[in-house]
Amino acid sequence: MLKIEAKKELPGFNLDVRLTAESGILAILGPSGSGKTMTLQSVAGLMKPDKGYVEVNGRVLFDSENKINLPVQKRKVGFVFQHYALFPHLNVWDNIAYGLKDVPKDEIRVKIKQLLENMNINGLEGRYPRQLSAGQQQRVAIARALAPEPDVLLLDEPFSALDPILKERLELELMDLQDVFGGSILFVTHDLNEGYKLGSMVAVYHSGAIIQHDTKENVFSHPINRDVAKMTGMRNLIEGVITGLDGENVTLDIPSWGEKLRVVSERAGNYFLNQKIIVGIRPEYISLAEKQGENVLPATVSHKMEGIASSNYRLRIKSDTSEKRYLEAVISKSSAGPLPENSDCYLQLHPELLVIMAE
Amino acid sequence: MTDYLEPLLVSLKTVTVTTVVTFFLGIAAARWMAHYDGRFKSLIDGLFILPMVLPPTVVGYILLLVFGINGPLGKALLALGEKIVFSWEATVIAATVMAFPIMYMTAKGAFEQVEPNIEAAARTLGANEWRVFWTVTLPLAKAGVIAATVLAFARSLGEFGATLMLAGNIAGKTQTIPIAIYFAIQAGDMDKAMVLCIIVLAISFVSLAAIAYWKGMAAKMKPVKVS
Repeated sequence: MLKIEAKKELPGFNLDVRLTAESGILAILGPSGSGKTMTLQSVAGLMKPDKGYVEVNGRVLFDSENKINLPVQKRKVGFVFQHYALFPHLNVWDNIAYGLKDVPKDEIRVKIKQLLENMNINGLEGRYPRQLSAGQQQRVAIARALAPEPDVLLLDEPFSALDPILKERLELELMDLQDVFGGSILFVTHDLNEGYKLGSMVAVYHSGAIIQHDTKENVFSHPINRDVAKMTGMRNLIEGVITGLDGENVTLDIPSWGEKLRVVSERAGNYFLNQKIIVGIRPEYISLAEKQGENVLPATVSHKMEGIASSNYRLRIKSDTSEKRYLEAVISKSSAGPLPENSDCYLQLHPELLVIMAE
Repeated sequence: MTDYLEPLLVSLKTVTVTTVVTFFLGIAAARWMAHYDGRFKSLIDGLFILPMVLPPTVVGYILLLVFGINGPLGKALLALGEKIVFSWEATVIAATVMAFPIMYMTAKGAFEQVEPNIEAAARTLGANEWRVFWTVTLPLAKAGVIAATVLAFARSLGEFGATLMLAGNIAGKTQTIPIAIYFAIQAGDMDKAMVLCIIVLAISFVSLAAIAYWKGMAAKMKPVKVS
């Protein structure tokens, strides 16, 4: 159990966050410069918040009110730095052993062997960091952080420097890490997919504050506002008005399109008639329809960027209103025929895949 | 033979002691200033480097004021039975003051080059500041610190102005090689001056070669960046 409260004023930037984490992985998601790394630093004691409170498993590490500020060395926090920060002058064995100074020698041997085994880096103990691949360096960095048996493990953008194939493999390894490490794992990322895949809980950061802190499912399916929605990849956000409520069914009027939409939301009860809302649509959730129907919009392809498995489209909604309204869509090649620029099509917006949020 | 041997021995003795003293003083000051962020930072920094920009005779004059029998430190030391001016210790004091800035500046630069996250990593692994310094900072700044030491060594070997003013020219006691060369030339003894010059040349060349060698060694120890 981890509790964090941190406030810090810097010129041009204010950090003001409050977080809790159980065991398991908490993903801290946000653009660069939003205070993610600073949060980790306040937990580790590498940065002192002006005001705040940090508690790990009932142990208070920092409490500005009661003037408690444990030094970094006493916090028992494992930290994996963005570029791993391995000791370049020490080999893998000595890197991992660095945090085991007060442990008896034969115990160190057993422990390091176990860590080498767990992290799948057996046989590398004599190598220097410069002789390791990026993936191996990351494993060593994690093994080094785990060696002194920390209460929490903090990872700062651990995958940002890796190529996609390696990244995927190491992401899986991080998931497995939960089997050998029972404490909370906090990991910082600006990559949406990474946050979604790895975190069971997600905290969304935006310029020094947390705008949503919830389970992954809730953050991605029920973003509380436009900022969270944007951050979680909902690139289409359209204003609407609620014109009908019936159980989980919500009927919306989209004035700018001159269209009606039906949305199925398990949170329909939170809304009221005539409420102005935002409806969010993920580009990946838009599919093509054969003909007009419910939640089907006629559109024209205005731009197309072809990818390997799917293509990105910018589509102009044909509406009676004079405004030009666009939707971004990612449509897989297996479901779409050739859809060149300037061609017409029908877009299907599935009621279950639309998300509404208060304006 | 003693004509050459005496200045050489005085110089070697002075330079050795000076280099050791400067090494520790310079490193301590550099480590402190590399982490110090108070409001007197530039002031202290300027003070430490000052002897490098001042003419050596000015430094020598200031040292005379401080260590002279009427100076604050001179008086105190005299009470303890030590007279600094024109003693061998004076050659060490003068050379240390002149060599300190270059040791300090070069070592500080080397410490500041050490990736802060690597030091932070050591701290998160439980290492106190002392251990971080000896096991991480210093090994990673090794090339710079060695270069600093060699430069300080060279600077103290070449020290002339301040030494002459504070320690004078007493053969076998305070007469270092540079001072011996000057007085040999004054006396028209060009042969003696040349031999002494060759000795200095040899020592300087060896120290520069040592820097190059160590830098080459240390380049292999550079931190790796993931790309």
